[in-house]
Amino acid sequence: MSSPTWFRITLMRSAIGLPRRTLGILRALGLKKRMAVVYQPVSRDIAGMILKVKELVDVEEADSYMSKAQIKDSRRPDPGFYVEQRAPRPQPPATQ
Amino acid sequence: MFGLFKPTSPLLGGLLWKNPWRISSNRKLRQRARLRRVDKIVAIVDRALARVGHDMKSLDRWKAEMPTEAEMLPRDKYTMFDKKEKTYRKGVHKLPKWTRVSQRLNPPGF
Repeated sequence: MSSPTWFRITLMRSAIGLPRRTLGILRALGLKKRMAVVYQPVSRDIAGMILKVKELVDVEEADSYMSKAQIKDSRRPDPGFYVEQRAPRPQPPATQ
Repeated sequence: MFGLFKPTSPLLGGLLWKNPWRISSNRKLRQRARLRRVDKIVAIVDRALARVGHDMKSLDRWKAEMPTEAEMLPRDKYTMFDKKEKTYRKGVHKLPKWTRVSQRLNPPGF
């Protein structure tokens, strides 16, 4: 089993009205608005930042990294349709 | 003159906010849930760092000094020190932004 080496951090509570440093820590983690998700490596400096805003965020351990685009893709709902493609032309039977 | 339109001080005057001196049982329930959530996050960070093989001074200090929700007395969960009160205690809900800050310890001697 591979050990989780990423923190999956979700901003649950906004930092409105809190000291500006708190907002700066959230920015440094890459969290801009509520329910935003970022993946950060498990390290001492990231852990320190999480502890500074532990009342605002939700943290899980994750096995693999997901970029912002991948997170957005994973949230995109099924479109409910698919575009029909032209069928490949059947090949004529090989003549001996 | 009744119910919604009863002439009360907040309706008649300008800015008057009323804050009860003690918090209700439902607010206490949510306060306990918030305390446990913070405990959970500290435990997750601790476990993740231990797996990687790091130790952290501030985390060790938190674990040594801060009581968990289960270890805290009800007095410390729902009230906090205040030098201006006759009993030296006030409801923790009087603390600005109290749902988003950690307030667990008392000053020495209190």
